[in-house]
Amino acid sequence: MDTLEQIREYIGKKVGTPAEQIVPEATLDAIGVDSLMLLDLMFDFEDMLKIKLPNDLPRPETVAELIAVFDQYNKPVQDA
Amino acid sequence: MPEAALHRVAVTGLGVTAPGVESANDLFTRLLAGESFIRLFRHPHAASPLEIPAVHCHDFDALAAVGRVQATTMDRFSHLGATAAYRAWADAGLNPDGMGGDERCGISWGTGVGGTMTFEQGYRDIMMTGRDRVPPLSVVLAMNNACASHVAIRLGLGSACTTYSVACASSAVAVGDAFTRIRSGQDKIVIAGGSEAPLSEAVIRAWDAMRVLAPGNEETAPMACRPFHARRQGLVLGEGGAALVLEEWGHAKARGARILAELVGYGSSCDNVHLVKPDAKGQVRAIRAALAQGGIALQDVGYVNAHGTATREGDPAEIAALREVFAAGAERLPVSATKSAHGHLLGATGAIEALIAVQSLVHKAIPHTQHLEAPSEDCLGVDHVLGSARQAPDLRVALSNSFAFGGSNAVLAFCAAD
Repeated sequence: MDTLEQIREYIGKKVGTPAEQIVPEATLDAIGVDSLMLLDLMFDFEDMLKIKLPNDLPRPETVAELIAVFDQYNKPVQDA
Repeated sequence: MPEAALHRVAVTGLGVTAPGVESANDLFTRLLAGESFIRLFRHPHAASPLEIPAVHCHDFDALAAVGRVQATTMDRFSHLGATAAYRAWADAGLNPDGMGGDERCGISWGTGVGGTMTFEQGYRDIMMTGRDRVPPLSVVLAMNNACASHVAIRLGLGSACTTYSVACASSAVAVGDAFTRIRSGQDKIVIAGGSEAPLSEAVIRAWDAMRVLAPGNEETAPMACRPFHARRQGLVLGEGGAALVLEEWGHAKARGARILAELVGYGSSCDNVHLVKPDAKGQVRAIRAALAQGGIALQDVGYVNAHGTATREGDPAEIAALREVFAAGAERLPVSATKSAHGHLLGATGAIEALIAVQSLVHKAIPHTQHLEAPSEDCLGVDHVLGSARQAPDLRVALSNSFAFGGSNAVLAFCAAD
């Protein structure tokens, strides 16, 4: 499943937004993802992908920016 | 400046969340029929087996009740509370789209333990599964004012959004505060109530450790809570929510609202004696304050919904307080404790009992104390309503008592609207 599909599934489950509205150019606000929902989403993605996103990450405003964040950090945490 | 004229306070809507219950009328009808909502509750994931009589909203569907977005951003105490608030709002016939931020519409809520389910999940994650973090919404799920804020946001209530945590008097104080806000002219509509979801393992075990939880098995659980009984064995924890829409009288009249009752008095006091041992003198002061504010003559009180938790020390103290206030008239004062049926909702119990007091005025009927064949010797001296519900065609004034750990007392006085 690619990142967009994962985001669609997650937001569909949490907010009920239809998948066809969740497109790269959509703003997160427009698809019902507010700042709290974004925190929750990032937490679950961290869990799922076993990654750790930095706390000072610029806040993504669109689905495309969110995909970019996840794809950038989508690599397993390396054991020391 | 001259003091603003005082405003009358109408009750125009009621909402409740309880097992299998659709509305305040539904609840009241079932109380009159003698139904108990208490069952044996098996904690689903306690570290070691945990079974107690409790009131558990087993059929509650948060998603259906508050919608997906609110459901995923709320603790269970908010699910149960917001549902009661929305039901009360609809019952009052108010705009389902809300008030658009009206600065004279607000909410006053109560909860004892708030988001304990969220805290417990966090501890489980950390201590049992070895995780080093908890979900990012934990703070906003668990905070005690979350329920009130969710309701204020959904219904566009721009006046004060307050939450009281006064143990078992929390929501009685919340109703009292809402009353004060409308009476003074500050607000025209306030949703007042409370909610509680106390069936986490830690909270159950904490109450159990105080040796105040009534025991029971599958068969006896529905009869476990026996206020005023010689063999009373303690309280039964319950989860749920209850809400009253309080409205300035003229505002309610102008929009043609159905007025269920008038809230005429609120009395509060502190025993200032002991943390958990109730003191009749403090209770007397709260009852007298409510009566005085409402301008109520003793003989006009036709029903007292007692705090009546079925603890060894609490029940006789309350009867002693009623006897002190009502003197010779106490023998003819109808009293019942509906916790025998709906359990002790802690911070929500004042609201559900206020709601029942209002219903008694509307339906001219008094629900009985269940599982009480004869009152205990130390609880004699009032007219215990027992055996079955009682018709009360002349009922004009009903009191609701709430007496909390900490010695905080709150008494509400309602008057029939007809």
